[in-house]
Amino acid sequence: MYERYHIHVVPTLGRHKPVPKFVVRRAENCINCGKCERACVYGAHKRDANDPRKMAEPDSTLCKNCFRCVVDCPQRALSIKVNEEFKALGKGVWTPVRVSTMWNEAENAKIPVLGAGYRGNFSGPGYDAMWTDMSEIVRPTRDGIHGREFISTSVDIGRKPPLLRFDDKGSLLTRMGPMVDLPVPFLLDVSRITVSDSVLRGVAGAAKELGTLMVLPLDPMSKLNGTAPAELLVPLVSSVQELERVPPQVRMVEIFGSSDWKELLKAIKERRPGLLVSIRVEPSQELMTTVDDMAREADVLHVLFAESGMDHDGRYARDTMRQLHRHLVKVGLRDGVTVISSGGLAAAEMVPKSIICGSDAVTLETALLVALGCHVCDDCGGDCPSDLRSAPEDFVRCRVTNLCSAWRDQMLEMLGAMGIREVRRLRGETGRAIFQEDAHRDAFSDITGGGKVE
Amino acid sequence: MSEQYDCVPEASWIPSERLKFVNRYVVERKDTCISCGLCGSLCPYGVHQRIEGHAKVLPPFNQRCIGPTCASNDFHCVSHCPTNSLSVRESETFSALGDVRWTTDMILATWHMAETGEMLPLDHPGNTGRAGGGFDHLHFKLGDVPEKVDYSEFSTAIDLNRRKSGERRRIAIPVYGGGMSYGSVSLHTMVARAKAAKAWGTYTCTGEGGYPAELVPFKENVITQIATGLFGVKEETIMRAPIVEFKYAQGAKPGLGGHLLGDKNTPLVAKMREAVPNTSLFSPFPFHSVYSVEDHKKHLDWISSINPQALLSVKVSTPNDVEMVAIGSYYAGAHIVHLDGGYGGTGAAPEIAKKNIAMPIEYAIPKVHKFLTNEGVREDVTLIASGGMRTALDVAKAIALGADGVVIGTAEMVALGCVRCGNCESGRGCPRGIATTDPVLFLQMDTNWGAQRLTNLFSAWRKQWCHLLASFGMKDITELRGRTDLLRYDAGEEVRA
Repeated sequence: MYERYHIHVVPTLGRHKPVPKFVVRRAENCINCGKCERACVYGAHKRDANDPRKMAEPDSTLCKNCFRCVVDCPQRALSIKVNEEFKALGKGVWTPVRVSTMWNEAENAKIPVLGAGYRGNFSGPGYDAMWTDMSEIVRPTRDGIHGREFISTSVDIGRKPPLLRFDDKGSLLTRMGPMVDLPVPFLLDVSRITVSDSVLRGVAGAAKELGTLMVLPLDPMSKLNGTAPAELLVPLVSSVQELERVPPQVRMVEIFGSSDWKELLKAIKERRPGLLVSIRVEPSQELMTTVDDMAREADVLHVLFAESGMDHDGRYARDTMRQLHRHLVKVGLRDGVTVISSGGLAAAEMVPKSIICGSDAVTLETALLVALGCHVCDDCGGDCPSDLRSAPEDFVRCRVTNLCSAWRDQMLEMLGAMGIREVRRLRGETGRAIFQEDAHRDAFSDITGGGKVE
Repeated sequence: MSEQYDCVPEASWIPSERLKFVNRYVVERKDTCISCGLCGSLCPYGVHQRIEGHAKVLPPFNQRCIGPTCASNDFHCVSHCPTNSLSVRESETFSALGDVRWTTDMILATWHMAETGEMLPLDHPGNTGRAGGGFDHLHFKLGDVPEKVDYSEFSTAIDLNRRKSGERRRIAIPVYGGGMSYGSVSLHTMVARAKAAKAWGTYTCTGEGGYPAELVPFKENVITQIATGLFGVKEETIMRAPIVEFKYAQGAKPGLGGHLLGDKNTPLVAKMREAVPNTSLFSPFPFHSVYSVEDHKKHLDWISSINPQALLSVKVSTPNDVEMVAIGSYYAGAHIVHLDGGYGGTGAAPEIAKKNIAMPIEYAIPKVHKFLTNEGVREDVTLIASGGMRTALDVAKAIALGADGVVIGTAEMVALGCVRCGNCESGRGCPRGIATTDPVLFLQMDTNWGAQRLTNLFSAWRKQWCHLLASFGMKDITELRGRTDLLRYDAGEEVRA
């Protein structure tokens, strides 16, 4: 029976107090008149529970920066400032706003909705320098999350034949290779992040909830205790001997794109013909000259960008992925191989944008940690502000599932706006995106100094 | 050319003490002050004052202080205080207000204009934002800006019907108000906007949520909107509207439709929209009866047959093929093609849509302007832009890029005291009583106060446009349209401001 794909979410509070964007401060000249309590519609100002003659310290986590208390204070005793701790969140493309947005998404699984207009930069590096298209009057469109028309987010992982052959009776002659159908175009990937055993099991549980794959090193597989079925696991394998340790149910493995990949790929295919093999590659200009062989033989290319969103030459994934996609199209190899990209995916919109630039699917890495409360401070030493190592399994499963659900819903919104019915059609659809350099040139080339984006 | 609207209403100062809560600098006086009063006699700006007969000097008036640069002056209070009790520091609250698009300077400048009606100097930092692109990197190659101009010599009026037939409709300033529905904003806000629109002979718009009876006295200046949810659309509302606006999409949420959360759908709102109270109300996307330009024409014809006098405006957002949409709308019979870019305001929209879907209006205006010009129909259509025009100079830049005029929304909200905290969508709505239907909160704003503030803002803006025109040797704002040669793109400029 047909079942519509649905992600079961459970709202899950964070384990630590959120980092508020603003800090409300009460100066000493407060006369405890209580006008602020009446002014605040969010309840940030309360009387002291122990001594009702006094006002308690304002609860900054409830402040939404409307300034009503500041206006109403007869003593000018209240001030609001931007929280330094908030400003210090994240780094690079992982901006403070993105990190805190992801915390909320992981908490309530909802699409972030706010009043008033856009309040950020005009554009930015990498994926921020592009906009997705939408369809106006003349193209039929779909009702995204309201679900009146179904939008598919499934993608196929594996090699696709260039064409299908049938015999006279109409039976399929073409031998189909192994294929994994993912309900969402993202995989969970802990191969490049450090996680504790409970976090590992939680992420595996989320992969099971979502029905998507989980990429992980080979050794920790034994620690999962069945939290995710082996069909969903993608272990990293670096030798034929290691292949022996891969359970028979596993459908895909990853190998490294080092010089001996060809022999290893051949050996794996001989021993386990039903296994998909993904090659991990480091994106760079050099890759364009070496990728053809891999694209011809591997089932999947897994392109690993840094968490800064950049490749080895310091170019953003937006440009490198477009170049790689165009190159593979030109040499006639793109449709055969599946391309998965990783790194620097710091917001929901980056998933469809990465797909537009040429990925079939992406993997979530640091995003998984942020879902748990990670500050992206890049210092995973002893005193983690969110104490990620101790995060319990259930908490991890729910938070990661929530984040993925919110991101999928936002992808549906974007697909709906574009009038696209399935995410497979988005791959490489650069015509349905607006790239800043093009729009800028078209609009401003007759303006002094306006030919090129700086 | 009708001169009817070229006379402009008087701006007059309106007390706005409640909006004096944030300053760039904070002056602090310690307890060691001996109330000698020297600071009061030194400061020419009136930061320190003592009421006649009082022993103590009043708490410092922070908003009058000019900050640390004052140290070079002979009258610097901090260095002259005999007990070293005074200090001046940057206000931390100052940076908590605003964002890169609507900077603190811009909000305070807008408040100042709304309070006084005085224009902002064209080189004031409050004229541009710090968003790192678009209008914030476009600058006018200003000639000599004359100190004084005779405002009556300049025309800032534009025609909204440029076709050869139909009603002439002319507005005195090249801006009119964008659609904000009953439900997303309070009735007081709507009436204040309508009063200001009447004073200026321009328009405001009901948005999608119906046509409240309180707006009927201003019906000559009220546009009504037909959006995809058809909330509050009735024959009588179409009959009384001078302009009917078809909203296909909103720039802040293109392709997604509208959404009024259940909390704000109070019984009164629901009645107006003929819906069930406290349920979330969706306007779908798009018109489910429009899948082609022919379908679109059918809808425009339908309005024309009900109200032949009405001008037809088509509000669309900015996809890749925006120029095709624009020309299609024109041939379907629209008088006004209204492009709404992504960075504009909204009562509630998914954050992902605001930045990522459809192009910014700065890119869409030249694209459509050039296309319509090449097609030979540019002089028959009124091209209106919206979505991120915050100041008079943004409006002028949009016109220089090729628009005839501009629709504004957020700037009006800010003039009414909005701090852009962005909480219009949830719970009781706007805590400051502007974008709310909460029966207690909306009483915070008085309609006459609001109307005067908006009138003052437009007055200040008009003065800015006149000075700008004067610096280019122009007399009429229509001369500015499409003059991209007067603009330069400069990424470094914002640092100076």
